[in-house]
Amino acid sequence: MLLLRTIQRSLPRLQATDTRSFLKTLSCATSRFSLPTLSRTIATTPHFHTLLTPAETSPPTSPPPKTPPTAQSNAAPTLHESLTLLTALKAQPSKYITVKIHGFSFLLTPGDKVVLPFLLKDVKVGDILRLTHATTLGSRDYTMKGNPYIDERLFECRATFLEETSEPLRKKEKKKRRTRRIKTVKSKHRYSVLRIKELIIIDVPPAVAAATGNNTTT
Amino acid sequence: MPVSALRAVSKSQNGVGAFILQCKRMEFNFCDWAGSSKGMRHDRSFLKHSLSQFARQNPQIEIIVAPRPNKIPIIRGTYINGREKVIPVDGLEIQQILQKAQLLRNSSGTKLKRITRPVISLNESVRGIFSPFHGKKHVI
Repeated sequence: MLLLRTIQRSLPRLQATDTRSFLKTLSCATSRFSLPTLSRTIATTPHFHTLLTPAETSPPTSPPPKTPPTAQSNAAPTLHESLTLLTALKAQPSKYITVKIHGFSFLLTPGDKVVLPFLLKDVKVGDILRLTHATTLGSRDYTMKGNPYIDERLFECRATFLEETSEPLRKKEKKKRRTRRIKTVKSKHRYSVLRIKELIIIDVPPAVAAATGNNTTT
Repeated sequence: MPVSALRAVSKSQNGVGAFILQCKRMEFNFCDWAGSSKGMRHDRSFLKHSLSQFARQNPQIEIIVAPRPNKIPIIRGTYINGREKVIPVDGLEIQQILQKAQLLRNSSGTKLKRITRPVISLNESVRGIFSPFHGKKHVI
């Protein structure tokens, strides 16, 4: 049983090395949803959305658009493969997500408490936030990498805004040699605390089709 | 072998299911005579002006207003974990007192702690601990 599992884990990893080289050759055409066969990694195209408030928008950066004919012919099989892999990822008991909040990335599982190194403005204690910028979605045997972010229609990650705290007051004393004057600098940074409510992966065909269909048309 | 349940203590994860505000009571104390309580007790001041709106916005918090003669005005917040936080509001104006009230409302009762790692988790690692015997074989 153990041997079987190890073989399973090693086999896909070998494929993963191939896929990496394959993806490198197609790097100029990363706007397509291209999935090599039998791979355990899925690369999706960038999909930018506002994280919390309408005022915050990330600058859209798209790779140079190109339409290689090979990817279009692979459209039908890639959707099926990506769906089975995503379903396999969803079926695993524990999953993690690497989420970016204001540029800071955190590796989270459901139920975690995140102490952000800054204060989130325009949010009240008790609000529920939906985290949309995910770079990686993973489980024990499968990893989904975004390029640079995963399409937000493929997952739902929500967090509750728990509290606004601060660190204890810390004082830094600054003094030069052969001088008696001591300058004291005080710091008391404010932090926001979130709790990850849920992490749901959506692998229904409409969502995956929308994510892939959107990319094949561009 | 009969199937039996594992005995486990429930771990509190406020916010996963429902969210419960940690501040359960706030007591506003002031002195009727002393000048430092001016922001609290005078006309067009905190107690007469802002407190009712603050109480309406936070129905989960029990609000007590009581005079405390010959002492500086304070706001005392009591939390679900049993701890108390006291903030002196002597000499402050209405907006400043409201800010302190919001501060008490927004915090949990835990002591301020310096955080080195941002993520606090009870879950085991998803991908497991490294083993040299599993995974990609190293070819020499």
